[in-house]
Amino acid sequence: MDPAIRLRGLHKRFGDTIAVADLDLDIAEGEFFSMLGPSGSGKTTVLRIIAGFEQPTSGSVALFGRDVTALAPFARPVNTVFQDYALFPHLSVIANVEYGLRVAGVARKERRAKAEEALASVRLAGFEDRRPHELSGGQRQRVALARAIVLRPQALLLDEPLGALDLKLREQMQVELKELQRSLGITFVFVTHDQDEALTLSDRVAVFDAGRVVQLGTPREVYDHPRNPFIASFVGSSTLLEPDVAERFGLPAIATAVRPERVTLDAPDGGVAGTIAEVIYTGPEHRIVIDLDGVGARITALEPNIGAAQRRSRGDRVTVSIDPAAAAPLESDAPAA
Amino acid sequence: MTSHRVSTYLAPRRRLQLASLLTAPVLWLGLVYIVALAALLVTAFWTVDELTGQVQIEWTTENVVEVFTEALYRTVTLRTLGIALLVTLIDIAVAVPVAFFMAKVASTRLRHLLVIAVLAPLWASYLVKVYAWRALLSSDGLIEWAASPFGGSTPGYGLVGVVLTLSYLWLPYVIMPIYAGFDRVPDRLLEASADLGAQGWRTLVSVVLPMIRPAIIAGSIFAFSLSLGDYISTKIVGGATQMLGTLVYDNVGAANNLPLAAAISFIPIGIILVYLAAVRRTGALRSL
Repeated sequence: MDPAIRLRGLHKRFGDTIAVADLDLDIAEGEFFSMLGPSGSGKTTVLRIIAGFEQPTSGSVALFGRDVTALAPFARPVNTVFQDYALFPHLSVIANVEYGLRVAGVARKERRAKAEEALASVRLAGFEDRRPHELSGGQRQRVALARAIVLRPQALLLDEPLGALDLKLREQMQVELKELQRSLGITFVFVTHDQDEALTLSDRVAVFDAGRVVQLGTPREVYDHPRNPFIASFVGSSTLLEPDVAERFGLPAIATAVRPERVTLDAPDGGVAGTIAEVIYTGPEHRIVIDLDGVGARITALEPNIGAAQRRSRGDRVTVSIDPAAAAPLESDAPAA
Repeated sequence: MTSHRVSTYLAPRRRLQLASLLTAPVLWLGLVYIVALAALLVTAFWTVDELTGQVQIEWTTENVVEVFTEALYRTVTLRTLGIALLVTLIDIAVAVPVAFFMAKVASTRLRHLLVIAVLAPLWASYLVKVYAWRALLSSDGLIEWAASPFGGSTPGYGLVGVVLTLSYLWLPYVIMPIYAGFDRVPDRLLEASADLGAQGWRTLVSVVLPMIRPAIIAGSIFAFSLSLGDYISTKIVGGATQMLGTLVYDNVGAANNLPLAAAISFIPIGIILVYLAAVRRTGALRSL
């Protein structure tokens, strides 16, 4: 079966800047796919090329097996939820949601029914006659969602849709987005710079850096086995161990990334000795920074807020060990971030 | 030190602050503008001594009655209104695509050049521009020269000349607010409309025009009111065409009948008030 979205040799240049470099990507039907990366990494440009707002310098975009590279946005079977929502300020909420149906020539009664259903699905029933400026950020977000899904697109493109919301609302919307995607059963392509969001929501994540996909995989693959130092530090936090330090922990002598929660302190079978340099209390856990003896390196460990961790303090002597299965050897040829 | 003491004294005294801010402009508006306008309107109810030609303070409604009953004034009013509306429509028709190109298509550099190009004529004297049009429209002028190979000819001095000249004169005043209006329409909304299936024309009708409607109305106020009061262009390129402005001018000058001129000026003032009242209901005044 053809993938929902197939990008081949996609290249985009703005003047002297290369925004996207020779990208090949297949996104499956019904997949929640995230494009994760820092700002300027090319992820939004890729989304805009899929939507048709930007023309690639070279390469092709195919949706469900049909080449749409030369098609205008209005001729593509995808819809977009914009970062700043882009609601029409002169139209009421219901008129915003009905807009696409009206353009498509759907009869008044039918489009009203569909729009109301879409509003209900984002829990905004009763807000039909409000104007966008009378809504909160989260409510505008939902209207933008309803406006896009009411057209039953084959894929929904979301450009940092939760970026402007505060933390609580963002977490709530994450759950709702996931539920919406499941109930609609369509492909979601989600652009974000928030690694938490990408890991929480996605079936697969593409990590972008400097216009390229530097790693593609499930959230677990990307988090547990980051391929290079950039990914190891951008997705979650990691301690990067030089080859000689890795060797001290009994790991292969290559550069290795270790997640702080996979570092064990004072294990029964010993480990590398060190001195606690800092104990940072974050509520649910303690972040403990240790100066390792003799190698001039630091490592960070994460311990839950129970037991031994509550009694640790600066200057304490500890031993540090790493489960070899939990360490991620990094590719030596990985491009520098 | 003194200014500090003044500030300290004024800080809690809001009324005094307002008074010192507004006294001068209120005096200016009150005396020079409103009183002068009121004096003009009162003049309409005075008479002219037929022998000496002096204005006499002798109350009469004769002038006003004459203006509102004689066919001449009705004809000229309708003509003036027609010219002002036509000029307004022509300016909007030209300004909308130009302003759209400036705000949404042109590069930043080109946009700056175009803004300068649009505003540049405002630095030239009104009279120079009108005489330039007189030269253009003359029987051996540029228009005649350009149109004759195609069997056309210059419209000459008359109604068409007046409409062309006024449309040219007020175009910058119409382009600028509409340009600002387009500039306030975020590109994202155009993209959102395209994303939802609308082609260019549909986006224009359903998103852009409703959003710039106040800007268009704001521009129309300039073209309409300036046309309504014009008399110089009419004198220079209008041939025998009479507008309300030329009637006022002739009565002040040649006919030496200031009260009648004042009475005539009731008409454009009334029309503008009606126009502004209508415009106010659209909410467009807020975007001026």
